[in-house]
Amino acid sequence: MTSSPQPPVSVVRENARRADAFAPAWPFAKLALWYVASVSLTLLVWQSCIWIFHPAPYIVPTPRATYDVVVSQWSQIWPLALGTFRETIYGYAAGAALGFLLAVAMYKIRVFRSLSYPLIIGSQAIPIIALAPILVLVIGFNIYPTIIVVTWIVFFPVTINTLDGFLNLDPDLLNLTRVLGATRGRRFWFVELPGVVTPLFSGLKIGAAYAVTGAIIGEQAASSGPSLYQFQVAANNQSRTDLVYGITIVMMIIGLLWFAVVTGLDRIFTPWKYRATARRWFRRDKTRNASLTTND
Amino acid sequence: MKYRLGSLALVGVLLLAPLFVASYSSASASATSLHSLTFAYDWPGPDMEIIPVLVAKEKGYFAKAGLNVSIKFPPNTSTTIKMLTTGSADVGLVTTADLVSAVDASVPVTSIANYSMSNNWGLFTKPGTKLSLSQLKGKTVFSFGDNWTATMLPFVFKKAGVSASSVKVVTSTNDIPLLLNGRVNFSTNTTNYEIPGIEGADKGQQPGEVLTGAAIGVPNIPIWDYATSKSVESSSGKYLTAFLSALKQATAWAAANPDAAATLFDKAYPSSGYTNAYNLSGWKLTVPLLTNAKGQYFVETDAQWTELTSAMKAVKEITSQPSPSSLYTNKYQPAA
Repeated sequence: MTSSPQPPVSVVRENARRADAFAPAWPFAKLALWYVASVSLTLLVWQSCIWIFHPAPYIVPTPRATYDVVVSQWSQIWPLALGTFRETIYGYAAGAALGFLLAVAMYKIRVFRSLSYPLIIGSQAIPIIALAPILVLVIGFNIYPTIIVVTWIVFFPVTINTLDGFLNLDPDLLNLTRVLGATRGRRFWFVELPGVVTPLFSGLKIGAAYAVTGAIIGEQAASSGPSLYQFQVAANNQSRTDLVYGITIVMMIIGLLWFAVVTGLDRIFTPWKYRATARRWFRRDKTRNASLTTND
Repeated sequence: MKYRLGSLALVGVLLLAPLFVASYSSASASATSLHSLTFAYDWPGPDMEIIPVLVAKEKGYFAKAGLNVSIKFPPNTSTTIKMLTTGSADVGLVTTADLVSAVDASVPVTSIANYSMSNNWGLFTKPGTKLSLSQLKGKTVFSFGDNWTATMLPFVFKKAGVSASSVKVVTSTNDIPLLLNGRVNFSTNTTNYEIPGIEGADKGQQPGEVLTGAAIGVPNIPIWDYATSKSVESSSGKYLTAFLSALKQATAWAAANPDAAATLFDKAYPSSGYTNAYNLSGWKLTVPLLTNAKGQYFVETDAQWTELTSAMKAVKEITSQPSPSSLYTNKYQPAA
């Protein structure tokens, strides 16, 4: 048995340097730049429509008028936006946890999968807007109906994506762990769980995009006091179209912010999607890294 | 024989053809001579308050007035005024508070007639529950989150001697299940919707308390009105008088024949989701609201608008107090 010759250390180091250069140095900054570019383009299209079609301000306000009204009403908007953000996060966390646990249970227990799959699909066929008032009736006027609505929306893509990931794991790899005598726990922790991180984050990102919608539906069904949705309804009732647009944009920003957070977590937990090599601080082989930097 | 019959048939067809052509052209001429108007309701689906417009349409009052009126329903309760300003509708039913807000926001709309003449908005408790206004402190009050409730509630708080912060105002999409289930202590609504709603939901039971008018300190002013846009006023002004004239006739008929009016509604909207009992009860409660002390329909006054705008300004629903003349006109009112 002969071992293949090791490449020279300088070659390894150069490859690692090139791989690092392949990934952006400031991934979050780059992502933020794309967000800014996208928003700017939207604003340009919006303003262009006003220049071309000249709609009345109570039909379509200008971006500037919308910005101004949000700034002038900010003292009222931000506590409500914070409330919506809080509902979004709580519901999202519950939905993500529930979705993941359900996927694991469905993967591990075949009977449970067969029984629960139709129910999980059916759960999404129920119009959430019809479910929310029933929750209020049962639970009452507090934050929980809203959290349940967000959870209801978020868990589904997480469960379906993660379960697909589990069911499409490399069978050879699983067989290898069995041959090597790995326990079920170790197999789950070192092979199955890392194998579903990518589809898990796909589900989490879909859920992040929809979570704020759930929070707003929850606020529509049950507001025990002022809420961002009720503030928007009041503005609409009063024909304050600029404020309606402004609040809609604030809602969108909440969704974008949360999506950005989840995308950031995705980059941290699935670095292989964005880099050819692990980051220096993440590399396990510290001694080799040290040798790469000292021996050359 | 066959030949003779064929010839007779041909002659018959030739003789009758001009008659068909004449009758067809006169029918299409009468259809085209009607002026088309679109009416936008204030609610996403039909309910008993649409009865006057429906009667005018179904009993041919609009057609006799030279109008072909179609009815549209808005996607939500805040859209009727936008439908008027974008040309999706020519006349609409709106709340007077929404109209004031719209004018305050420089939206070119105006009220052309009152629908109701008095304020039947109030507080309701579940059947069997007696709560007075003095017990409002610390209680949960349901609101639809609408402009009218936002304007009226401060009057209620003032009359009860409580601050807004000492009462929990909650918002949802339907009040009656929450009231009956005890999730709220008081619901806010109008008598013509709340009482039939509770009757229908709770085996004919009446609300425990119906607190309205001076008892809760709210001004006695109209809640709903017919509105139009400034552009329709300038382009189709003369048809607005015809519209109100037909509507007045229909309203009077529906007020005198509530059972027939409710049945007409059921036939026109069999899938409305409302029972005949609800529609009849609701319409009977609506009828007394339609006329003023002099028995007049539609007539608007400076006083009603001044009282409303003062109230809305006081609770900061509007930034400035518009003059009554910028809000309404009586010039399209039909002759007495």
